[in-house]
Amino acid sequence: MTSVTAVLRRANVLGLATMLLFLGAWELLIRTGLLDFQNLPAPTAVAARAQQLLASGELMTNLLHTLRVTVLGWVLASVIGIGLGLVLGLWRPAWRWSMASFELLRAVPPISLVPLALLVFGFSVRTELTLIVYASAWPVLVNTIEGVRTVRPELRDVARTLQLSRRATLLKLTLPAAMPSIVVGLQLGLSLALVLAVVAELVGNPSGLGNALILAQLALRPEEMFAYVFTIGLLGIALNAAFRQIVARTLPSAKPFPGKAS
Amino acid sequence: MTIERPADIAPAAPRTQPRGVACQCRNASVDLVSRSGPRRILGDINFDLHDGEFVAILGRSGSGKTTLLRVLGGLVEPTPDSEVSFHGRPVAGPPQDVVFVFQNYAASLLPWRTVHNNVALGLEGKVPAAEMQARISESLAIVGLEARAADYPWQLSGGMQQRVQLARSLAMRPRGLLMDEPFGSLDAMTKASLQDQLQQVHQHTGATIAFVTHDIDEAVFLSDRILVLDGSPATIAHEIPVELPRPRDQLATKELPEFLRLRRQVYDAIVATRD
Repeated sequence: MTSVTAVLRRANVLGLATMLLFLGAWELLIRTGLLDFQNLPAPTAVAARAQQLLASGELMTNLLHTLRVTVLGWVLASVIGIGLGLVLGLWRPAWRWSMASFELLRAVPPISLVPLALLVFGFSVRTELTLIVYASAWPVLVNTIEGVRTVRPELRDVARTLQLSRRATLLKLTLPAAMPSIVVGLQLGLSLALVLAVVAELVGNPSGLGNALILAQLALRPEEMFAYVFTIGLLGIALNAAFRQIVARTLPSAKPFPGKAS
Repeated sequence: MTIERPADIAPAAPRTQPRGVACQCRNASVDLVSRSGPRRILGDINFDLHDGEFVAILGRSGSGKTTLLRVLGGLVEPTPDSEVSFHGRPVAGPPQDVVFVFQNYAASLLPWRTVHNNVALGLEGKVPAAEMQARISESLAIVGLEARAADYPWQLSGGMQQRVQLARSLAMRPRGLLMDEPFGSLDAMTKASLQDQLQQVHQHTGATIAFVTHDIDEAVFLSDRILVLDGSPATIAHEIPVELPRPRDQLATKELPEFLRLRRQVYDAIVATRD
């Protein structure tokens, strides 16, 4: 009993109602013929198609591919971004030598590299992975640099007066102090990873949700396209929620700065 | 290297007797790098801190008293011809056995560590686990925060946070404490109780303490000697010995004619330097 009320209290009832209302209106407009497009299916048709795709296992296969490559790419990007960010943020010469190159590269939208990656790596998962890693490493890198550079000078003085070694200062002060900023970078990187995965599958890699979307378009199956579009959206929500859960469990320190911890 | 001193050591020799020199400061000058070239903010500062002595450094805001303390703590580098030493060793970086207590306690504690783990910070990897535990409990007991060991700093009041920082310093078993306006941002009542606690710590540990403040009453109440900084570049403009009996009491001591006389003398010294 109590768990039911707890779930009800946590669920955004009004938000769900709005969604249902929207779907209902959409269904109604299609059925009454007020909205008349050749290729705009009703929500019920989309749901039916999604059901079939689920039953055949087709949706799962594509979903798993996109999920795997997104997560793998994001993990690689995070390792690169944090590692490089620490070097650039903490070691002045590295920053001075490479800042100009990084500013230039950063100005290039990752999507504009899609055709290039396609040419170099061909229609393969390598293209997809390269694009994901490249795009999602940026926010991690930038936020790591920002995080370690804005550690309060008081903390450095604390480390010095308590005779902490450089290693201990990095692990016990600098990294934890930079963690909230790094977490923001990781979260941005994750959503970018999904975007780039879908883009790469749309144009390059012959598998995954993006590819399924294109195939459905070529086969003139709008219900199937909507089913995949919604799947991609749900995958984004699920990835974000999982990330928040992991952060909340492993880094309780990253969130509780309530109120006046100036 | 470190000298073992049990925590329950009896108060050392009578305070009026001069003791060994803990800190020597000869011709200490500091240049601040500004856009218009280097600007001298401290010039030719000379003084000694004796073992176990409590010295207050007083001066108007911007007089360079915090900078002087940071020089002693090895956090600011003086000019090459300056000679600053602690316990016979020249200061190059923070000296062993000397801990700096910062004014901004909120920024000096690690919000992701509990009170207990904040106090552990300077000991981790340096002393055996059992000794570390003992030192942490002991330091927290001295500042009366044993019950809050598992809390996070942000769950504590400002006064308690400053006591955590003090406990963290005491856990290092320092022979010298450099305190930079540690009670500057606390309310009057909290301040008074922390002054009492600091007095006990001083008596208990026999540590040499340099204490920067802009509060004349606080300087007179706590110290054995007051150094007044003034000028541009700042030098020690006045040196005023404080020979009030110890232990000192917030009410009784402050009603002594000698207290009032000293208070007046220090005030005049600071006002006189204004011209």
